[in-house]
Amino acid sequence: MSQMLSPDMTIAGEAAAKAKIEVKNLNFYYGQSKALKDITLSLPERSVTAFIGPSGCGKSTLLRVFNRIYELYPKQTAEGQVLLDGQNVLDRSQDLNLLRTKIGMVFQKPTPFPMSIYENIAFGVRLYEKISKAEMDGRVEQALKRAALWTEVKDKLNASGLSLSGGQQQRLCIARTVAVKPEVILLDEPASALDPLSTAKIEELIDELQADYTIVIVTHNMQQAARVSKQTAFMYLGELVEFDRTEKIFTSPREKRTQDYITGRFG
Amino acid sequence: MSTAASLHQSRKRRNGVMMTLCVAAAGIGLVWLALILGALLYKGLSGVSLSVFTEMTPPPGDAGGLLNAIYGSIVMTIIGIIVGTPIGVLAGTYMAEYGRFSKLTTVVRFINDILLSAPSIIIGLFVYELMVRPMGHFSAIAGAVALAILVIPVVVRTTEDMLNLVPNALREAGTAIGAPRWVVIRSVAYRAALSGIVTGILLAIARISGETAPLLFTALNNQFWSSNLNAPMASLPVTIFQFALSPYEEWQQLAWTGALIITLTVLALSIFARSLTGRREDK
Repeated sequence: MSQMLSPDMTIAGEAAAKAKIEVKNLNFYYGQSKALKDITLSLPERSVTAFIGPSGCGKSTLLRVFNRIYELYPKQTAEGQVLLDGQNVLDRSQDLNLLRTKIGMVFQKPTPFPMSIYENIAFGVRLYEKISKAEMDGRVEQALKRAALWTEVKDKLNASGLSLSGGQQQRLCIARTVAVKPEVILLDEPASALDPLSTAKIEELIDELQADYTIVIVTHNMQQAARVSKQTAFMYLGELVEFDRTEKIFTSPREKRTQDYITGRFG
Repeated sequence: MSTAASLHQSRKRRNGVMMTLCVAAAGIGLVWLALILGALLYKGLSGVSLSVFTEMTPPPGDAGGLLNAIYGSIVMTIIGIIVGTPIGVLAGTYMAEYGRFSKLTTVVRFINDILLSAPSIIIGLFVYELMVRPMGHFSAIAGAVALAILVIPVVVRTTEDMLNLVPNALREAGTAIGAPRWVVIRSVAYRAALSGIVTGILLAIARISGETAPLLFTALNNQFWSSNLNAPMASLPVTIFQFALSPYEEWQQLAWTGALIITLTVLALSIFARSLTGRREDK
């Protein structure tokens, strides 16, 4: 860990924003190998935070700790604290399914469920809410509008989700995530499998969604991080090297390693 | 001629020889299949008539049909599938979902593979010891149990394989939206693997509908109509076995016709199973 960092990794001048997620001394292991080393940072509410860094630096791993999706696999363990509104989500007593309704996630590859467009969205809503058909229709429409997909699919809601294009599938996944009304949305390289036009649409969407949601995005694409995020965390070899306002990271980083990475000298 | 050109020539020759061998081998395989089908059609078709499906198996020297044998085959196959499929699907689900990373899965898979290739006559003997001896008589239910034991390993294998083909990303997506494990399995994984699992069940039906050995030791045979599950029951394979070995012409003819019926049924099931998997790959 660098000594140059302020101890709690909060951003100077952003103190006013309430922290939605606070990570404290987080270590993560794949079996014996340590993938995250003593990560401490805090993510402000209703704002977009980007995690950047070369492959294998731990940025996706960090994201996967927030909703504890890593627990699907054996031998992956996290130590430390991840506070969501002050509540440690790593607590054993934490109900995982409830946690995941509060923290939604969108993956690198579009993952529509093998069901209709309508059902793809209703599926998640139905898990925790008993609502009438009319209300459900409203929710589906609202979610699809939110994901800027409504006009493209409103006449074929019963078509398979798999029949959509890659970009549309990804927006369907975002709609599905938004429909269950989470507080945080985790985006794991959401546009890396998409063409430039679809990417632009997704980025526009992220920009709109931050009014209501705390968004964390992992990306390989530094321009994308610069375009969509308010603050950026640069990670390298499992360490959080630097965390600051995005302009600061991309114009005058404190750390040499950050400088080298964003100028393309490695990674 | 330069070395490069002569090398090219000799490779081309070798390629020609290998290709001829492969085509010949494939041809030999197909020829037997065609001969079997041809013989069955030639000998069996002449015996196909309405009475085959409406009359009981006759005593020697008499005309008759195969109704009780067809009925017995269908009944025991259905019971075998009803008993074997849930066990197979659930075991496959455990191996591919809940126990994906557990040692038990490796052990079960190994044992299942042995069961998959176990000679069916052994299964027949096993059920004979397990049910027929204690009960004191042969019975349709013992036959159905023997068939169920043959169904299980086939269904376990295909269910596990098909669920393993479902991308993990899809499970993660289901989990990430807050769905409990069993909902993810039921609504996402099963749905994605459905055609494959159904194909496995159809192949299991095809496999047991021609089995003779396990039924010889369990359901035995019955020359008359019987729908009593607690009594011996006729079945097509056993009837074919008995009639084909007999010196009576009418029986031999019925055996050919029965063999044709089984073969066509299995063929139809296989084609149907193929079409299901085919549609899956189109997506």
